[in-house]
Amino acid sequence: MKSLEELTPRQDRIEKKNSGLLPKFAGVLLLVIVVIVLFKTLGNASLFFYPVDEAVEKRVELQDRRFRVIGTPQPGIIETTLSGRQVLVFTLCTGNVYADVAHEGDPAELFNPGVPVVLQGVWSETKPPSSEKLLYPANDGWHIKTDSMVVKHDNDYRSDRAELESCSSE
Amino acid sequence: MTVPITTASKGSKILGITSIIGFAVLILLAFFVTDPDIRFHPETGEEFGQFDAVRLLYLHVPMAIVTYLAFVICAIASAGYLIKRTFWWDSMAHAAGEVGTLTCALVLITGSIWGRPVWNTWWEWGDVRLMSTLILFLLFLGYLALRGAFVSPQRAARPAAIVALIAVLDIPLINRSVEWWENRTLHQKSTLSELKIEDLTLFTLMLGILVSVLVMSWLILHRFRVAWLEHMEFEQGVKSAIEERRHIDNKEQ
Repeated sequence: MKSLEELTPRQDRIEKKNSGLLPKFAGVLLLVIVVIVLFKTLGNASLFFYPVDEAVEKRVELQDRRFRVIGTPQPGIIETTLSGRQVLVFTLCTGNVYADVAHEGDPAELFNPGVPVVLQGVWSETKPPSSEKLLYPANDGWHIKTDSMVVKHDNDYRSDRAELESCSSE
Repeated sequence: MTVPITTASKGSKILGITSIIGFAVLILLAFFVTDPDIRFHPETGEEFGQFDAVRLLYLHVPMAIVTYLAFVICAIASAGYLIKRTFWWDSMAHAAGEVGTLTCALVLITGSIWGRPVWNTWWEWGDVRLMSTLILFLLFLGYLALRGAFVSPQRAARPAAIVALIAVLDIPLINRSVEWWENRTLHQKSTLSELKIEDLTLFTLMLGILVSVLVMSWLILHRFRVAWLEHMEFEQGVKSAIEERRHIDNKEQ
């Protein structure tokens, strides 16, 4: 028979952990998942985007590669056709550097001049169709053929006083 | 000692009613009173902005803030547990971890709903802020799973506290990601720190943060009290069993 003292509850005493395999396995699995996700996120260049000036500077290097570019669309967006398909032709800029774009596919719902966008596509060593109608053409004999568009909006919520992302027009 | 039959107290009832009224006012302001985000291009005169989608930010941003707060409370309580080794600290960490995981899920959901019209995508794999928030959610989901993996809650307390202290390190990464990896995220930089918000928009956002903190406190309080009642019930069961055993032993002697 056990003594009475052995049965006295000890409220704040925590039992020594007798580690089972399941918690250890869960911990290791969790760690592996986190490392994989971190590695893929920080190492994956899929969302790395170049500003227009950098994309123009690395044009030769990027020529055959799909890349992402961020910039602000300029006023004067043209709807036209390229190889029988509907495209939007416009000029994208960062700072004072401009690049012409021919975007195929549906634009983003909030696509508008002044709202920065991230586009994905390739460089083409030709002028875009209807480039003569562009208000601020890059006129460098190149354009970016893109087929994916997401919006990167700004952090300004001051309505009337909001600063607009724009390029200095020359 | 008798176990109380409710987790409510006068204070928690006041907190709950204030939270509900505050939430109702927030919904009214966010979805009916504040203006949609509309601007006009100075050159073309065309409308642009986030339009009505901006209204979701009055929920999304406060929820993100209380998620950080809940997980920080969880980490502090976990550290407290590792030092003091008492049930109080462990229960507080558990309660805050559960509430934080819930709000973190809501942050991901509301962000995704908002992202579709504004960004033109529900989700962007590779976006540093999205992924680091997803990692935070997974870490705390793992934290809760770990607690559930042990038969005895006492055995789960120490490993769970260590996981919470590691997981919380993701929060500064999430918060700073828009500054450190500006070209790897579609998220905007902080609006509040640059004060690019004013008037009713600012007031509604601040009210959203206040109400969310109240709701979070209310939920953590009740979850903590539920854990405390479970603990007391368990202790009472043990005491009854011991009394019964003593009674039998006395009889045998």
